[in-house]
Amino acid sequence: MAVAPAAIFLLLLVYLGVTAPNLLELSTLSLILQQSIPTAIVCMGLASVVMAGGDDVVSGGIDLSIPATAVLAAAIIADQLVNHGSGLAVALMLGMGAALLMGVLNAVLVVTIGMTPLLATLASSVAAVGITKVVTSSRRINVDHPLIVFLRDAQFHGISVAVLLTAMLALIFYVALHRTRWGMHLQAVGGSRDAAEVSGISPKRLMAHSFLIAAVAGALASVFLLARGSGSTPGSEENLLLEMVLATFLGAAFSPRRVVTLWGAVLGAVLVSLLSVGFKSIGVDVFWTGCIKGALILLVVASAAYSNKQRR
Amino acid sequence: MESDVLLEMQGITKTFPGVKALDSASLRVSRGEIHGLVGENGAGKSTIIKVLAGVYQRDSGSVRINGKQPEPLTPASVHDAGVRFIHQELHLVPHFTVAESVFMGQELAGAFGLKRRLMRERAETFLKEALQANIPGNALIRDLGVAERKLVQIARALVDGKASLVVFDEPTAPLDSGESEQVFTAIRQLKSRGISMIYVSHYLAEITALCDSVTVFRNGSTVSVLEQVEANSTDTIIQAMVGRDIDALYPEKSHAVGGAFFSVGGLTDGQRLQPLDLTINRGEIMGVAGLIGSGREEFIDTLYGVRAAHAGSISLAGNVVNIRSPSEAVAAGIVLVPRDRRHDGLVLDMAVSDNINLATLEAVSVAGLEHRRKATERADDIAATLDIRPRNVNAVARYFSGGNQQKVVLARWLITQSRLFILDEPTVGVDIGAKVEIYQLVENLVAEGASVLVSSSDPGELLGLCDRIAVMYRGALVDVLEHDELSMDNLISMTTAGIPRAAEA
Repeated sequence: MAVAPAAIFLLLLVYLGVTAPNLLELSTLSLILQQSIPTAIVCMGLASVVMAGGDDVVSGGIDLSIPATAVLAAAIIADQLVNHGSGLAVALMLGMGAALLMGVLNAVLVVTIGMTPLLATLASSVAAVGITKVVTSSRRINVDHPLIVFLRDAQFHGISVAVLLTAMLALIFYVALHRTRWGMHLQAVGGSRDAAEVSGISPKRLMAHSFLIAAVAGALASVFLLARGSGSTPGSEENLLLEMVLATFLGAAFSPRRVVTLWGAVLGAVLVSLLSVGFKSIGVDVFWTGCIKGALILLVVASAAYSNKQRR
Repeated sequence: MESDVLLEMQGITKTFPGVKALDSASLRVSRGEIHGLVGENGAGKSTIIKVLAGVYQRDSGSVRINGKQPEPLTPASVHDAGVRFIHQELHLVPHFTVAESVFMGQELAGAFGLKRRLMRERAETFLKEALQANIPGNALIRDLGVAERKLVQIARALVDGKASLVVFDEPTAPLDSGESEQVFTAIRQLKSRGISMIYVSHYLAEITALCDSVTVFRNGSTVSVLEQVEANSTDTIIQAMVGRDIDALYPEKSHAVGGAFFSVGGLTDGQRLQPLDLTINRGEIMGVAGLIGSGREEFIDTLYGVRAAHAGSISLAGNVVNIRSPSEAVAAGIVLVPRDRRHDGLVLDMAVSDNINLATLEAVSVAGLEHRRKATERADDIAATLDIRPRNVNAVARYFSGGNQQKVVLARWLITQSRLFILDEPTVGVDIGAKVEIYQLVENLVAEGASVLVSSSDPGELLGLCDRIAVMYRGALVDVLEHDELSMDNLISMTTAGIPRAAEA
């Protein structure tokens, strides 16, 4: 049952590969990778939170505010660069500072006050969207700063520099989460808070860490969002949220232990982008695409819940 | 020169608000021995273990470990002194590997990150050499049996090689006999490696088989220390554990017992609960005794349809009834007063009146709508009969005392005119006064011809209240103690050793 979403996903991909023949060509694939960057980075953040909080969809770890945080940071950076004539350093500092504040807020709400992560981060996500609207007056801001253009267009031996940077980031996340004592402690907390505590690990500290890391992921995603869209687009958090949740939990279905992992989340992000681009190229209506993604999320989450129930 | 005594706890007193949990208790463990710690529930075993663990701070008394007096006793200082605790709960992550679990919180890492292969090899070696278990280091915890998980838990506590004293708290409670043997093998192997152990258990058969010496606790004090434990020490231990008469808490058993009324045949949940036969007569109080893990809870849950029955039949007054859910049980006239009344028995934030009427709303409804005044009046009537205090049925149930909450749950079922009442741990967390009233209520119920099944972990309560007692042990019904066989010795030896009563009794 746990592999059902993976199987259905692969079937969909095969279908798309057949009906949209140029989908699996090298140039399209490279485009897909580039498209998937912001999703992949926020997925790294969500994977950290889920690994530290446990994969129970309701009571476990989740951070719905990462996409809104990324869009907020992107909006601030764009606004500073374009409307206020700030330098790059100041713009980045303000944008990423705001993102980190979101992380601190989430950590306080969940760890100190003890709110359910789902509700706490939903609330902070709504707040972040609101601030974004205040900053941008809900208008698109075009950015043509050299750094953003570089991230969009630069290539290194034919491979997008942005993709390479994202791969490096994934490697750093992987080593931290899966190859260090700290990462094992984080996973222990997510696996069983009591077990971690009797082993001398502080669950609260690690859960707080995970929300801060998620905010860092959101902050880093913001520059790639700017690059992908050549500027800041309020409202893009919606699709990003959908893809992030789908990709991260879909990744669990691909992992040998059926739990959320870093590689699973990144692979999930790429597959979800592949799906989006594929639907677009065979001419599926954008609204239907959203519908199909929603159904897939349901399937992924339901099958995770079902296999948890079986295990008990 | 090293002394023979590894652990010396003397004159330990610990008071909680209103309760003296430990009263100048002592515990002394010699180097290299397995020391049993026994006593009834509430005797103070877990309290003294928690004092040793540094979880509770003692009020007075001294603790010497290895000749030193670590002050203050904190979980960290005790750990440094070489004392390890194997808790009843496994505390393992299902999707971690054996190696990851063994090294949880103490991972081996170098400049290039975790040393996964080294951890796996060390975990496998330790399990093999110190615990005589062949468990692959890359197996996932969720794929292991319960005994193997226990061994992984033990390995986690001991793998650093610095342990000199290990405290086992009921290590075999969730295991069956074969699995227990695997754990005993590991414990004996540890002993041969010179590690001292404290073994806390209700299973006296295990105590006599494993331990070199035993300390018996009763009412917060050390009442007896046996330096030499032999197979026949069980009687001595039981006498020391009990050492009291059953108080005058219980009503006189004056009710008349009628013919067979309720019977189960071959009932099993297909898992823990072995097929079980039991008959309860009209107007009879039947007790169910058994330790944690004896299958007592599973039996009650299966009877009431909370757990799915795998096989077996239930019949009531000669008619076979099919119970697949609690609502079918209630419809058949079987009701349960659950052990955890705060979660399962009451809607805490509802008024007492609503809680009482919950199961019988049709009786106070007009055209499908609840008739509030009728409902309140009816609740008030029964509250008067049961003397629920304060007698304000509009107050919220949360603020009532444990005893009165229990009476509210009883009241709900009393007005249903049910015929079989199942009471699961009816007096846990209830004060003495309310206990006496609940016992009297049960006596009144059977005097009116109902039948009652009482499941309890308090042997005194079962002996004082019941006409007969069914004893369970490791998932199976061992025997039923008849009226003239009811004695503390019989009951304790059957619940703790699982042997049927002596033939001559």
